[in-house]
Amino acid sequence: MFAYIVRRILATIPVMAIVALFVFSLLYIAPGDPAAVIAGDQATPADVERIRASLGLDRPYLVRFGAWLWDILRGDLGTSIFTNLPVATMIQQRIEPTLSLMIVTLILAVSIAVPMGVVAAWRQGTWVDRAVMGFAVLGFSVPVFVVGYVLAYVFALELDWLPVQGYTPFSRGFGPWIENLILPAVALGSVYIALIARITRATMLEVLQQDYIRTAKAKGVGQRSILFMHALKNAAVPIVTVIGIGIALLIGGAVVTESVFAIPGLGRLTVDAILRRDYPVIQGVVLLFSFIYVLVNLAIDLAYTLFDPRIRY
Amino acid sequence: MDGGRTAPLPPGVNVAPEMGDIMPPVKAKKGFIGFLRRNPTIAIGGFLVLLMVFVAVFAPYLAHRDPTALAPALRTREPSAQFWFGTDMLGRDVYSRVLHGARVSLTVGFSVAFCASVIGLAIGLVSGFIRLADSIIMRFMDGMMSIPPILLAIALMALTRGSVGNVVLAITIAEIPRVSRLVRGVVLSLREQPYVDAAVASGTRTPMIILRHILPNTLAPLTVQATYICASAMITEAILSFIGAGTPPIIPSWGNIMAEGRALWQVKPYIVFFPAVFLSITVLAVNLLGDGLRDALDPRMAKRL
Repeated sequence: MFAYIVRRILATIPVMAIVALFVFSLLYIAPGDPAAVIAGDQATPADVERIRASLGLDRPYLVRFGAWLWDILRGDLGTSIFTNLPVATMIQQRIEPTLSLMIVTLILAVSIAVPMGVVAAWRQGTWVDRAVMGFAVLGFSVPVFVVGYVLAYVFALELDWLPVQGYTPFSRGFGPWIENLILPAVALGSVYIALIARITRATMLEVLQQDYIRTAKAKGVGQRSILFMHALKNAAVPIVTVIGIGIALLIGGAVVTESVFAIPGLGRLTVDAILRRDYPVIQGVVLLFSFIYVLVNLAIDLAYTLFDPRIRY
Repeated sequence: MDGGRTAPLPPGVNVAPEMGDIMPPVKAKKGFIGFLRRNPTIAIGGFLVLLMVFVAVFAPYLAHRDPTALAPALRTREPSAQFWFGTDMLGRDVYSRVLHGARVSLTVGFSVAFCASVIGLAIGLVSGFIRLADSIIMRFMDGMMSIPPILLAIALMALTRGSVGNVVLAITIAEIPRVSRLVRGVVLSLREQPYVDAAVASGTRTPMIILRHILPNTLAPLTVQATYICASAMITEAILSFIGAGTPPIIPSWGNIMAEGRALWQVKPYIVFFPAVFLSITVLAVNLLGDGLRDALDPRMAKRL
């Protein structure tokens, strides 16, 4: 068990190293001359040279990668070309709204999607099942920002129940904080809900055919107890795995959701950085999100024993 | 009545009346029409996709005006008989722009699906057959898969000049790891099949085994995957254009039209609304096609999902 945990943690190191190598190498993979692209059309050759030097493109690839990796390990994500502030500081200032949005979305999505999937599996083939599956197809097809605009139009502009856009820090109280996050969280969560509901239904259908479910029914265990205690527990591992993998969707969607709802988080930072071609900022955000993704999935892997005591390493 | 019997029966002889079949035989229509009837999702999805292809191909004839023609005097007109979807803040006809937007979306969707499938297939085959390459390639793919695809595409677009070709390239790179994983998984399970063992035992060379026995069996799951990639590529393209990292603003793509309508969406929601509806319907159609193909090609999966 302990050996497994150590091995699993060590196994993430090469993955992270490859992420770092890849994110770093994008500067070299990209077609054309990145320094010229970043400098923009009105740049003088001197500007281009200055940016080339600040990106380190004038030094050999491996030397540059070594220095960059060493900086990353010390928590230095580089310096913004545009503001001249350290990227790590800029991220720190913007991280709260993004983390809030993602956590609220995660809780909301899981608490809606899992019961949806369970009920769909329980009532397989009925209109309830069809409605859930239909919703899942829609959730996959309607892009985040479209859902966002529709929600904002109906619930904020027409009905005036919730604020249209903006963000209130958590320090100003739970009420205003959550009020601003509900619509973005539903918009961002739509794909995620579709994904989790689908996998929950599929896994539950499989589990519900097992002998022990029939035994439980035969000895008179109540329907709810069968579904949620006997079946869902045994279906937990694939569901939790998909919740972890789906975080990639949340991260990508958060960038867009933040621009729709004018939330001043990392997504906005990224979008602003794109417009200014501030590559170090983009690089820092991509790296940070990828590491979060790897770490969350590591935690989920290690937590399997909690959901399923049969798993012993 | 009983046309088969000609001679009259002798008196006193009783013949049991002919019984009809208890159940009429199932009329399984053969051919293309029958296939569509049995798979309504493919029919609906396919029809909508073909409709969008039609719109994209004939956009210049269906459009009312030049999609890039400015008319400041006519700006932000509400939808009317003259301007079906209204006009945007520069007076351009939203209807004509949305029709032309289908071209960008479909080009990106189909190109990414094709390129990612071909490259992913090649990587997956190599990885599934060469043990040494497998561990290196798959470690690398694990790393790439840890980068959320949209962010990877954003990072690539920040380094290149905005063009449809670069958008295709960026999204393709982000999608490759998933395809290679899928193909590798299929290849690994196919290698254990008795008929592959038989082919090996009878002295078939590896390239021939791949070509004759492995490749044809990867095509079904790959086709399904390709449709899903097409759908997600169209969404990614719209997202990239929407946040200003995609197709250059002069080209009317659905993401660009929405990005331009963004500032006015609270007062003139139709500028955002129409491209959003077209995008959603197109993605929905491609997804339905994918679901239908998956059910038709893999009946075992169909029961579960």
